[in-house]
Amino acid sequence: MKKRVLSMMVMSLILVPFLFSAVSAKTLKIGSMSPLTGPYASDGTDIKNGVWTAIKVFEEAGGIPGYDKIEFFPQDTACDPRQAVAAANKLINLGVVGVVGAYCSSSTIPSSEVLDEESIPMITPASTHQDVTDRGLEYMFRMCGRDDDQAPAAAKFIKEALGAKTMFIVDDKTTYSQGLADGVREASKKLGIKILGHEHVNQGDKDFSAILTMAKQKNADVFYMSLQGYSPAAMMTLQAKRLGMDSQIVTQDAVFQPKYMEVAKAASEGVYLTYGFTDPNTPQYKAFEERYVPKYGKIAAYATYAYDSATALLKAIKAAGSTEPAKIKAELMKLDYQGVAKHIKFGPKGDSGSSYIAFKVVGDKFVPYWEPATGLIK
Amino acid sequence: MEYFIQQLINGITLGGMYALIALGYTMVYGVIQLINFAHGEFFAAGGYVGAIALGYFSGIGYMETHPVICLTASFAMAMAYCAYLAVGVEKIAYKPLRKESRLAALLSALGMSIFLSNGLMLTQGVYDKIYPSELFQGRFDFGMVTISYLQIMIVSLTACLLVGLNLLVFKTKIGMAMRATAQDKTMSALVAIGSNRIISLTFAIGAGLACAAGIMYGLYYGSVRYDMGFVPGIKAFAAAVLGGIGNITGAMLGGLIIGMVEIFGAGYISGEYKDVFAFIILIGVLYFKPNGIMGENIDDTRV
Amino acid sequence: MIQEFKKVWKQYTIGMLWLLGLLWPLLGIHSDGTMTFQTTFTVWTYILAGSFVCLMIYVIKGSGSLKFVADPVSRAAGNIKTTSTALPTWIWLAAGLIVALIYPQFADRYGTDVAISVLLYICLGLGLNVVVGLAGMLDLGYIAFYGVGAYTYAILNTVYGLGFWVCLPLSALTACIAGCIVGYPTLRMRGDYLAIVTLGFGEIIRIILNNWMELTNGPNGILGIKSIGIFLPVFENGFTFEHFWMKKLQLFYYFALGLAIVAAICVHRLNFSRVGRAWESIREDETAAELMGVNTFIYKLLAYAIGAIFAGLAGAFFAARMRFVSPESFTFLESAMVLCMVVLGGMGSIPGIILGVAALIALPEVFRQFESYRMLIFGATMVIMMLFRPAGLIPAKRVGTRSEEKEG
Repeated sequence: MKKRVLSMMVMSLILVPFLFSAVSAKTLKIGSMSPLTGPYASDGTDIKNGVWTAIKVFEEAGGIPGYDKIEFFPQDTACDPRQAVAAANKLINLGVVGVVGAYCSSSTIPSSEVLDEESIPMITPASTHQDVTDRGLEYMFRMCGRDDDQAPAAAKFIKEALGAKTMFIVDDKTTYSQGLADGVREASKKLGIKILGHEHVNQGDKDFSAILTMAKQKNADVFYMSLQGYSPAAMMTLQAKRLGMDSQIVTQDAVFQPKYMEVAKAASEGVYLTYGFTDPNTPQYKAFEERYVPKYGKIAAYATYAYDSATALLKAIKAAGSTEPAKIKAELMKLDYQGVAKHIKFGPKGDSGSSYIAFKVVGDKFVPYWEPATGLIK
Repeated sequence: MEYFIQQLINGITLGGMYALIALGYTMVYGVIQLINFAHGEFFAAGGYVGAIALGYFSGIGYMETHPVICLTASFAMAMAYCAYLAVGVEKIAYKPLRKESRLAALLSALGMSIFLSNGLMLTQGVYDKIYPSELFQGRFDFGMVTISYLQIMIVSLTACLLVGLNLLVFKTKIGMAMRATAQDKTMSALVAIGSNRIISLTFAIGAGLACAAGIMYGLYYGSVRYDMGFVPGIKAFAAAVLGGIGNITGAMLGGLIIGMVEIFGAGYISGEYKDVFAFIILIGVLYFKPNGIMGENIDDTRV
Repeated sequence: MIQEFKKVWKQYTIGMLWLLGLLWPLLGIHSDGTMTFQTTFTVWTYILAGSFVCLMIYVIKGSGSLKFVADPVSRAAGNIKTTSTALPTWIWLAAGLIVALIYPQFADRYGTDVAISVLLYICLGLGLNVVVGLAGMLDLGYIAFYGVGAYTYAILNTVYGLGFWVCLPLSALTACIAGCIVGYPTLRMRGDYLAIVTLGFGEIIRIILNNWMELTNGPNGILGIKSIGIFLPVFENGFTFEHFWMKKLQLFYYFALGLAIVAAICVHRLNFSRVGRAWESIREDETAAELMGVNTFIYKLLAYAIGAIFAGLAGAFFAARMRFVSPESFTFLESAMVLCMVVLGGMGSIPGIILGVAALIALPEVFRQFESYRMLIFGATMVIMMLFRPAGLIPAKRVGTRSEEKEG
């Protein structure tokens, strides 16, 4: 008997989600996909919070005519392609009109194909890999920059601003970090920087002493650190400084998270990183800061992009006056306004352009340091 | 040569940490033949509680005035906490399954591991917990070779704990009772050794050691994370098996070997394949010595 | 009822106090040097209230006060049981098959997608069952064969343009070869030594997939894999066959269903064949099996090979369905999950494994609404299920007992 009851329970549990999928009237549904569990939960949570803030702000500003309420469905992908596809299908079932996500490129790519089949617009705030938009999907947009834009900018910075002649590169073998590291290596070679070594660590490693000892021995001018997430980057910086490495450390946009300085503390002083130009003095940024900081703490890399993605989506829906995908897409392409992180204007492929500049860590702040066009920022 | 010595120092530091975690695996295995997958989570919990305690002490300002006392107190608190956690976990998730097939307990351990790491994530937040690690920031430089104070502290503390454990297991009555329980529960019960108490004690000691490793890890790497128990957990498991699971000296040796192989693999051959080297050494050793380096010949151990 | 309650209240109180002691340091001590009790008590009270309700239901049920509910339920269950034994098995199988066949007509997209995952993992679970359940070898690196199968199809399709149907047997073959390679050196080991070595092999294969840029494109994964191609006759302008790619989820579903059914039939037949008996004898006592003339070497290798074949088939299907493969799908945690499905369902029992897979794939999906609490609840459910049904949801019927069980 026990067996029967248990199996009944399991069956009913399986049936529950289908019951939940009943549609209620006159709410606009927006979904997000990001890793809320697993190793990238911190970045995933930033994305969720960013979208939440955007929806709140938009509703307070009057919402969308004809809808009482904007409903938000954050989904967990756990950075696993299979679960990402399940999440995408779940969102389709829920009847969302647009999706913000996902984080890992390997989740974004398969789930975007599913969403594209149903013509649901998807804006990724974090996946920088070229193939995300280069596959020519009609409803795929990107708010963040592209790896193949960041790499040349970083190489130019290393050559011009730091005057480096030699470089040592480390990446952690993820789509993101490796793509960027390879890009930087090729771009730097073209600029005449000698690459003394390109080593790899694995995702989830915490002990980098072997690689760092090697890098210290090579004694390059620049140590380029390409790691997914601020946490391994902070650990690597700390260990490098402890080992007495003198090279200048340069890293990239995934590290743009105030927690980086908290973990690495004094070791982070003077580290450079490339990140899309965000003007913290625009009224949009100030307004976002006012809302976000008291509730969720310091602003991190992906929160602003997620906010902009959600706002762009909602603006387009409002302008389109309907939830028809083709119309939303047409309105998305027409958008041209100053967002929190950047000026938003989508190109034909769905990219919103990159504007990478270099930041320097001073105290516990990222200070804009250099930009490609004019050089050093005073 | 300097490069070699530097890597050797790195290897000893890492290997010592693995050895401390591996000891917990091996002790639990020795007593109840269970691969305790939640052991890595005790390590993570230790790191967190250490961070909380150190954070508290620096918050009330004792850290500047009495750093050594604060550190000792944090170690003691966190180790007690982990022992407390481990004893409870054993009572809830493993004890009812002791009579069942070993795979059932293995599964329960896996579920517990998922539960604990997510519990840590939910109570402590998704961001890294930061260690106030200004304590041991100095270093010695011998030409190209660098030894940080932290490395010295970690290696010496690890050595102390290992010696202490060896004394406990081989020189005291309690240790004798533990060894007796590991060999034969029925017989040891006949001579009035409460197997339940001994098993709880084993869990407590194992978790305490893992916790010490967790705090050292936090001090060394600057922060702790909810998912940090997983990878070292697997490495330590490999180390325990390499040394011959159930054998305390073997676990220490295994931890050191795995740490060394990883560091030298990364330092001399290739960083991305370092785990492959560690596992190849493991497989190679087990192929020629199927019971590990120091393992006794246990015949007919089955799933 | 009071009597029953008395028995558990002491344990319950100790447990709850223990939990309070665990929670407080995590929630109550702050880095600014303050201590609070508010949050801890709030969280604790919630847990207390929740668990108290569960406990009360359990106690009342134990005392028989719930007879008015439990009796009809058990009577109904008994009736069902008698009918189920009265009717021949094939009727039940046919009914199950019909339900499975018409399911996608009623389910929506998400339901179908979850069902496809379930069917895929049934295939994997049954394959692992051959190794763990039948031959009794604990394998923690099983997902590697799945990865080998998936990458075989992905590479053959994107580089050489081979179709799915050609690649399916090839995927099975490469996975089988990988199984033999892993199996050969591990045959001397037993129990937990075997477990760690298979875990090591699984990790080695994953790391190779992640690092061999030329072949596997490393962490970027392989994009643009074709779906399953099917030939449908088109009777316009004479007899032509139009070749188009299977895109509709329902067709995927039916393919996965076919795969799962084939796997179930194979494993069932194997279980009751000469080979299955040989495996069982190895599982129960390897030395005795050898003495009785079972060639343990060949049979253990065979178990690995057959398990790997199922994983390879499932892998090829997975690649075709996702149209994208990356090493992130083949981690140790996946191996552990498949093992959980097998053990949770009941080792060696096919209906058990199907139920176990359904539970472990569907539960994280059901818990989606809890967002970040999802995996916490999932882990707890796993422990609780194991505590209540340690031999699995539907344990396999077995002949005799193991020697160690007798001792225990």
